[in-house]
Amino acid sequence: METQEILTQMNSILSKVLRKKDIEVSVTTTASDVDGWDSLSHMIIIDSIEKHFGVKFKLNDIMRFNNMGDIVSNIQGKLSN
Amino acid sequence: MLFNSFQFLLFFPIVTIIYFLLPYKLRWVHLLVASCIFYMAFVPIYILILLATIIIDYIAGIMIENAEGRRRRAFLILSLVANIGVLVIFKYYNFFAININTLADASKAGFSIPLLKILLPIGLSFHTFQAMSYTLEVYRDNQKAERHFGIYALYVMFYPQLVAGPIERPQNLLDQFHAKHDFSYDNCRDGIRLMIWGFFKKIVIADRLAIIVNNVYNDPRHFNGVALTIATLFFAFQVYCDFSGYTDIARGAAKTMGYDLMLNFNRPFASKSVTEIWRRWHISLSTWFFDYLFNPLVASLRKWGRWAIVFGLLFTFFLSGLWHGANWKYIIWGSVYGVALVYEFLTKNFRKKIFSVLPPTVNKTISIFLTFSFFVLASVFFRGKSVKDALYIFAHLFKGWKSVCSVSGIKSVITAIGGNDTVYGSFNVVIGFLLIAFLEIIQFRTKDTSPENIVRNSSSIVKWSYYYFLIIAIFVIGAYDNQEFIYFQF
Repeated sequence: METQEILTQMNSILSKVLRKKDIEVSVTTTASDVDGWDSLSHMIIIDSIEKHFGVKFKLNDIMRFNNMGDIVSNIQGKLSN
Repeated sequence: MLFNSFQFLLFFPIVTIIYFLLPYKLRWVHLLVASCIFYMAFVPIYILILLATIIIDYIAGIMIENAEGRRRRAFLILSLVANIGVLVIFKYYNFFAININTLADASKAGFSIPLLKILLPIGLSFHTFQAMSYTLEVYRDNQKAERHFGIYALYVMFYPQLVAGPIERPQNLLDQFHAKHDFSYDNCRDGIRLMIWGFFKKIVIADRLAIIVNNVYNDPRHFNGVALTIATLFFAFQVYCDFSGYTDIARGAAKTMGYDLMLNFNRPFASKSVTEIWRRWHISLSTWFFDYLFNPLVASLRKWGRWAIVFGLLFTFFLSGLWHGANWKYIIWGSVYGVALVYEFLTKNFRKKIFSVLPPTVNKTISIFLTFSFFVLASVFFRGKSVKDALYIFAHLFKGWKSVCSVSGIKSVITAIGGNDTVYGSFNVVIGFLLIAFLEIIQFRTKDTSPENIVRNSSSIVKWSYYYFLIIAIFVIGAYDNQEFIYFQF
């Protein structure tokens, strides 16, 4: 799946979980750039992303996610296998 | 060695001056020796505990980096067991033993666990947490294992933050020990400014407020609700000024030598929610718990959805309470915060909807007031000598308020607070409230910039007058009975 396509789907996941319209993320977006994406909602977002794309992240990978690009490339890696 | 002691008044300039006189290659040796002297001023023999954990974590770090898979995990566990083991033996063993013995007594089980006669090593919870942060970050590939044993030892032992934090991360601190720090007038000036502000908060505000707080909290049954309320309010500011004052002195002392330690407090009383308090209060500890306990725990349980977060919060804050002390009062104190955070998490959207009808300023004011009130009330468990005392204080906080309706009533409260001395009581209460007002004005005016820099852009006359005022206040209205820092006991 193309990066842009994943990012577009990420926008709708985040909008749904955070109940906010007009969320637009890029590969460089971090949690602190998105209003409402705090340490408490983080794992709910991760869980929603996993369900949406039908993937399961490893615990160590989750701990290493620094920005949206890290999540996107992890998803791409899993989907290409 | 206490920061607020005569020894430190000599220790600090000597260590800082020698640091810059020495060639770069010898500076780590100097800082390590100075840190050992600083630590050994308490219980010298306990340096061996530090040495043992330093050796284990140093080797574990390298082994984690070189190993793969299960072996890698095994070395991390070795490091965690060593650090937590030391904590359990020295800090928690007697607490668990006493509780098990009480249960055994009650159930007539006919056994009892022997207690250990040991003193708690100073700052144990701080440096073990900092050491664990190192091996955890190496395990997560966020930090390269440190090959230089002396530099690693210094990472754990760096004297400004050795016994009461900030609990540093290796990514922030280790590289700074490898960097060359030339003498800088700006660093010295900024560091000393921060130290003066820290000393002012500790010696003038915290230790002055402590006089009333100690009087009342040492024997709360002799005081009515007015005195209990004043003492509880004073304690909230005492503990803030005590601990954030320590952090300022630590950060300032490190800054004079060119080291930047992390921010540990960011105007916690401006928080609009209990959740926000923990983003502003003891930041180095709360981020430690979130990064190494809460996040991995919730990530593993994420299938539970919101309940994973509820469980994560309750468990994290239960342990945060236990971190503060091996006593039920700290466990309750931490758990109360856990419950409050769960409440805020579960009702976030509902509260947002309700409060959105209010004008933003009113909304903000009410939120800050309620959050601060929660902080003050929760601190009764923190400061009370026992859970029993804390419950007594809660039951009597609102009793005896009729006394404020008459001059004689007010006088009797003030006299009692002052230890049967009306003048002493009045002086300390009035000075206490004035100091709190001064602190709040300074912090309100500086907002999110550092309070010690309030006069940074003022004229020289204003600038120097302000610093002379702080220094004179430290000597004139400072309370000098060499009060230990509250967080030293942890």
